[in-house]
Amino acid sequence: MSEVIVITSGKGGVGKTTTTANLGVGLAMRGKKVVLIDTDTGLRNLDLLLGLENRIMYDLIDVTEGRVLYKKALVRHKKYESLFLLPTSQVRDKMAVNPEQLVKLCEEMREEYDYILIDCPAGIEQGFKTAIAGADCAIVVTMPEISAVRDADKIIGELGRAEKENIKLVVNRIRPQMVKKGDMLDMDDINDILSIKCIGQVPDDEMVVTSTNRGEPVVSNEGSQAGQAYRNIVGRICGEDIPFMEFPEEGFFTKLKRVFGH
Amino acid sequence: MKIKGSRSGLQLVFDDTADFPAIEQEIKEKLESGSNFFCRGTIIQTLPGRLQQTEKETLAKLFRQYGVILHTTIEGKSLEESVAAEKPEIQVPMQPTVQEMTVVDRTVRGGQEITSKGSVLICGNVNPGAQIIAGGSIDIRGTCRGIVHAGAYGDTKAFIIADHLMPMQIRIAGLIARSPDNVEKSSRAEKAFIKSGQIVIEPIER
Repeated sequence: MSEVIVITSGKGGVGKTTTTANLGVGLAMRGKKVVLIDTDTGLRNLDLLLGLENRIMYDLIDVTEGRVLYKKALVRHKKYESLFLLPTSQVRDKMAVNPEQLVKLCEEMREEYDYILIDCPAGIEQGFKTAIAGADCAIVVTMPEISAVRDADKIIGELGRAEKENIKLVVNRIRPQMVKKGDMLDMDDINDILSIKCIGQVPDDEMVVTSTNRGEPVVSNEGSQAGQAYRNIVGRICGEDIPFMEFPEEGFFTKLKRVFGH
Repeated sequence: MKIKGSRSGLQLVFDDTADFPAIEQEIKEKLESGSNFFCRGTIIQTLPGRLQQTEKETLAKLFRQYGVILHTTIEGKSLEESVAAEKPEIQVPMQPTVQEMTVVDRTVRGGQEITSKGSVLICGNVNPGAQIIAGGSIDIRGTCRGIVHAGAYGDTKAFIIADHLMPMQIRIAGLIARSPDNVEKSSRAEKAFIKSGQIVIEPIER
């Protein structure tokens, strides 16, 4: 049974593309057949995060405009055999694809793949409407910050209007120390406002940045807390019941260990 | 059988030759088919003398299932007088200010707006950036963080109730109150209304 999941947020910069790349790699690590579709036409990034930029031959627009079959445009991941990327065009804009074309493409892909993850552009305009059109369910990514939560709320409303009822929440870039001091929104505040099911709490982690720059999503890094959080989300998507991880108190020894590079 | 509109309400007129079971069946079909035709609280009159007391009771019972009230008009008297003369078991409030109520069974999110000429009941939260505009009162079974405007057409008796009332702005009729800059979550249900020319908030039991 294949599932089409759109990853969206409203606000930019909260980690939609990072989340898409990590969930894609995480699902592929479990042996699932996964396609990632980048719909952020004109501002494509997903290929960079996966380190696949130099392998792109065709893009989403070539497929929707009928120049090539989608299979020809897919880029296989160099490390995970069952992970594919359908990149988008960097020269065209969001008007180049319409919702009907994406719905049709997703229906074709359903036959072959277990999971189709769609990376949605920021905003609530045409690009967003196209990205969500073919999805069975949505993952809304937000950050513990009032503007990100406000935009997530708006996006959930828009998804509801488009009759997408299956919506899950991922809270990204949590800084436990700041939450503890009361300087950052905590999970109770966020759940209280958004009132949708939360499937992930990802701590802010420097390794996310370093791994992004290397083109290797952090989910495959055993030593990273954010990687563990992403692996937990992948498990929950696969229907496992995994409790939310505790963020360990950063004591003197862990700090010391970090300084000495363990 | 016909249902005629008259000045004081709807009137049942039957064929003299029709027998009672046929009439009953016909009314039942009418009620079931056009459920929108008779709104709740509609009063239907029959002329006296056409029906036996038991038949009338059967019909009244049938109508009551659909929220319609049956009266026998006493000839030569107005409806009000005959209502008074009959002393029905259900007293119908005859006030002209019966409001309709909009019921919203979900969370109202930022950017969404609910407008109603009547009152509004929200079973869910009203999130920041959402707006509720009601001609009547507003009842929120949840947390209110958006903008709420009760009595939008000038009804100064309108009020706003919420389980946790912490809106950005409260407007009642022509008055506006802004939330304090540091809002604390109230632990009890509260009611906002106009008292001597300004909006006041008081805790209530519910």
